[in-house]
Amino acid sequence: MGIDHESVVAVSKSWGLFYLIAMAAGVLVYTLWPGNRKRFTRAKTSILDKNDRPGE
Amino acid sequence: MKEFFHRKIERNAIGFVLAIVGVASIGGLVEIAPLFTIHETVEEAPDMRLYTPLELAGRNIYIREGCYACHSQMIRTLRDEVERYGPYSLAVESKYDHPMLWGSKRTGPDLARLGGKYSDAWHVAHLMNPRDVVPESVMPRYGWLKRNALRIDDLGEHLAAQRDVGVPYTDAMIENAVADARGQANPDGPEAGGVAERYGEATNVRAFDGNPGTLTEMDALVAYLQIVGQLTQAAHQETAAKEE
Amino acid sequence: MVTGLTVSERHMALFVLGALALAGLAMAVGGRGDPLAVHGYIVLAFSLGLGFVVLSALFAPEPPESRLSEYYDDPTRVGIILSLAWAVAGMFVGVWVAALLAWPELTFVDSAWASFGRLRPVHTSGVIFGFGGNALIATSFHVLQRTSRARLPDQFSPWFVLIGYNLFCLIAASGYLIGVTQSKEYAEPEWYADIWLVIVWVAYFVLYIRTLQRRKEPHIYVANWYYMAFILVVAVLHIVNNLAVPVTFGHAKSYSLFSGVQDAMTQWWYGHNAVAFFLTSGFLGMMYYYLPKRAGRPIFSYRLSIISFWGITFMYMWAGAHHLHYTALPQWVQTLGMTFSLVLLVPSWASAGNALATLNGAWHKVRDDATLRFMMVAAVFYGLSTFEGSFMAIRAVNSLSHYTDWTVGHVHAGALGWVAMITFGSLYALVPWMWKTERMYSPRLIELHFWLALAGTVVYVFAMWNSGIIQGLMWRTYNDSGTLAYSFIDSLVAMHPYYIARAFGGLLFLTGAVVCCVNVAMTIRMARHARKAEAGGDVPLYGQAGAAQAGE
Repeated sequence: MGIDHESVVAVSKSWGLFYLIAMAAGVLVYTLWPGNRKRFTRAKTSILDKNDRPGE
Repeated sequence: MKEFFHRKIERNAIGFVLAIVGVASIGGLVEIAPLFTIHETVEEAPDMRLYTPLELAGRNIYIREGCYACHSQMIRTLRDEVERYGPYSLAVESKYDHPMLWGSKRTGPDLARLGGKYSDAWHVAHLMNPRDVVPESVMPRYGWLKRNALRIDDLGEHLAAQRDVGVPYTDAMIENAVADARGQANPDGPEAGGVAERYGEATNVRAFDGNPGTLTEMDALVAYLQIVGQLTQAAHQETAAKEE
Repeated sequence: MVTGLTVSERHMALFVLGALALAGLAMAVGGRGDPLAVHGYIVLAFSLGLGFVVLSALFAPEPPESRLSEYYDDPTRVGIILSLAWAVAGMFVGVWVAALLAWPELTFVDSAWASFGRLRPVHTSGVIFGFGGNALIATSFHVLQRTSRARLPDQFSPWFVLIGYNLFCLIAASGYLIGVTQSKEYAEPEWYADIWLVIVWVAYFVLYIRTLQRRKEPHIYVANWYYMAFILVVAVLHIVNNLAVPVTFGHAKSYSLFSGVQDAMTQWWYGHNAVAFFLTSGFLGMMYYYLPKRAGRPIFSYRLSIISFWGITFMYMWAGAHHLHYTALPQWVQTLGMTFSLVLLVPSWASAGNALATLNGAWHKVRDDATLRFMMVAAVFYGLSTFEGSFMAIRAVNSLSHYTDWTVGHVHAGALGWVAMITFGSLYALVPWMWKTERMYSPRLIELHFWLALAGTVVYVFAMWNSGIIQGLMWRTYNDSGTLAYSFIDSLVAMHPYYIARAFGGLLFLTGAVVCCVNVAMTIRMARHARKAEAGGDVPLYGQAGAAQAGE
C-alpha cells in the first residue's frame, strides 16, 4: 500500500475541516441570497394550495 | 454567477442529487478512509491462531441465535470493566472476526474473556436451562442445540469463503475441515490428532457436550464459547506489561 | 386496482413476477438443505400469488384517459395499510420480547424461532423497515406528486417499489425466525435480500427523479430534499455495510468483507446514519409537508429548513464513532464522532424549533385536533431525543450509558415519541384525503390513541432511564475495601421492576396502534358506503374524486 495511515489521517483531518467551512459558507450564501427570497416564499405557501390535481 | 449556479442545480434534479451525494459521502469518506489503512495501527499478535471449523460453526450458531443482542464482546478501557471482566479488548483480537461481535448492549454480561472460565458441563447445563445454574437469569433456554445434529458437510466451503475475505486458512485446513470438526469433539477418535497439528497444541479437543459419539450444535457452540478471547494472549501480555 | 394499470403495464407486471418466480425457484433448488430454500419457496409463492391477481384482470379494458388529470394514489393507499399492518405485528413482537426479559419462561415452547435472540430483530426490522419504511414510501409518493404538481410518470414502478420493498421485509422477518441473519444490527438480512433491496431502491430513486423532472413548480419543495437524502444515503450505507461473500450461491450464509475494528466502524457508520437518514431525514420530510398542511400555516422559516437540511446531511455522517467510545477504535475517531455529535444539535434543534414556531398562533388547533397534536408532540420528542443523543455522545456520559438500558430508552424516545408520532399524525391527516372522506371515522378514537401513545412512550422511556442509570452505576460502584460492590446478577435483579414497567408501556403503545387500525378500517368502510349511497355502487374512484382535498 502506497499511502500510509498517518498521511491519510492528516489529509482527513485538515481537508475535512476546510470542506466543512466551505460547505457551510455555500449553504449560507444560497439561503440568504436576496434573489432566492421570492422562490422560497412561493414554495412555502404553494403547498397550502387546495387544488388537488396535477398542473397542466 | 453564484445565482446562476444555484438556479441550475435546483432546476435540474440530477444536480441536486449530486449535491446531496457529495455533501453526505465526503463526510463519510473522510471518516471512513483512514480505516482502510487502519490495519497498520493494529497491534501485532504473532501467536494468534484461527478458529477451527467446529469453533467457526459455533460462532455461526452464536450469530444465528442472536446472542450478540444481549452480550457484548468488547471490554472498554475503564477500570471497573477491566476488574469485572478482565483485560480490555484489543483491536487485534477481532482481526479474523467477519463480522465482529462487539455488541452494543449488556442485558447479560460481557463475554470477551469467557473462554476457559467455566467447564464444558457448566456451559451445557446453562444453555439447556440458564436458571438451573443462575436462578435469577433471564436468558432463554437453548434446548434444541443438543437435539440438532451439526451440519458439517459444507464446512470446507465456509473456510474457503473466510479465506476469500482475508482469513489465512491453508489448503490443508480447508480440505480437512469436516474431519477436523469431527475430531475436535471426539478426543479418542482417529481424527483428533489432525486438529492439534493444524491449529496448534493448545486447541481444545474434547467432547464438549459430554457425548463424543454425535456431533451436535451444542458441541460447536460450547467449543466457540471456550475459545472466546483465547485466540491470542496479547491482551493479557499488554496488561502485564503495563503493571510492571 | 390492477384494472387501473394500462394493459402494457399489466404485461410488464406479469413479466417481472415471472422472472421473480424463476429466481425463487432457483433459490429453492440451489439452496436444498439450507434455509435459502425456504426463502426460495416464499419468493415463489409470493410472486405466483401476485401473478394470479394480475392475471385475473389481464383482459379488463384500458383505464380511462381521465386518470392522467388525477394524481396516482393507489400505491399510497396500499402502502398506508401495509404500514399499519407491520406496525401492529412489529410492536406486538416488541411487547413479547419485552415480556420475555421480565418473565423468561413466557416462551411456552422450547422452539428456536420463539427465543428472544430470534424475535428481537423481527421487532426491530418490523417497526423500522416494515412500519417506518412503508409509511415513508406511501407518504413520499403523496408529497412528491403534490409538491411537484405532477403525476407519477408511470403506474408500474410505484407498485414495483412498494411490493418489492415488502418482499424484502418479509424475507428479512421470516429469515430471523429460521436463523438467517448477518448479525449486523439493523442490517441483519443476508446477501440475497440485500441485493434485492438494492434493485428496489434503484427503482425508487429513478421514480423519484423522473417525477421531479416532470414538476410544474420551479422550486423543489424542501420535504422532497429530505426524502431524496433518505433514498440516496440509505442506498450508499446499505451497499457499503452489506458487502459480503456468500459461502456459496446455495447458502444463505455470507461472511462480511470487513473484520474487527474496520467492521465495527463500518457497522456503526451505517447504524448511526440509518438513524439519521431513515429515521430522521425521511420523517422530517413528512413533517415539513403534513404539519404546515394540517395547521393551515406555512412553515415558520423556509430558510432555516434549508440550513438544517444541509447541516443534518453533512454532519450525521461523521458522528457514528460515538457508538464505540473507549473501545479498540482509535482515539481520534472517537473524538471526531463526539464533536460532530455535539454540533449536530444545532440543525436538529433548528428543525424542531421551526416546526413548533410554525404552530405558534395555531395553538387552539393543537388543543382541539389530536392529529396536529401528534405532530406537535413528535417535534418536541425530536428535540428531546436529539439533545439526549448529543449528550450521550460525550465520552464521560457514554462511559456510564453505553451497554445499558439508557441506550434502549433513548432509541425509544426517538422511535416512539418522534418517528411513530409523526407517522401517526401524518397518516391521520392523509387517510381522509386518500379515501375522499371529510374526516377520520372517529376523532375520539384519535384522541384515545394520542393519550395511549403518549402514556406508553413516557412509561417506557422513564422505565429505561431509571434502569439504565441504575445499571450503569451498579456496574461501576466500589465498596469501601476497593472492590466492585455488585455482581452482574445483582444489577439484573434490580432491573426486574423496570422491565415489567417497560413491557406495560409498550403494551399501551401497541394498543394505541390497534386503535389506529380500527379507525382507519372504519374510515375506509365509511368511504365505501358513502360512495355507494351517492352513485348506486359501481363508479370507479376516478370519476368520484373532487378537485378539493377532503378534510379542509
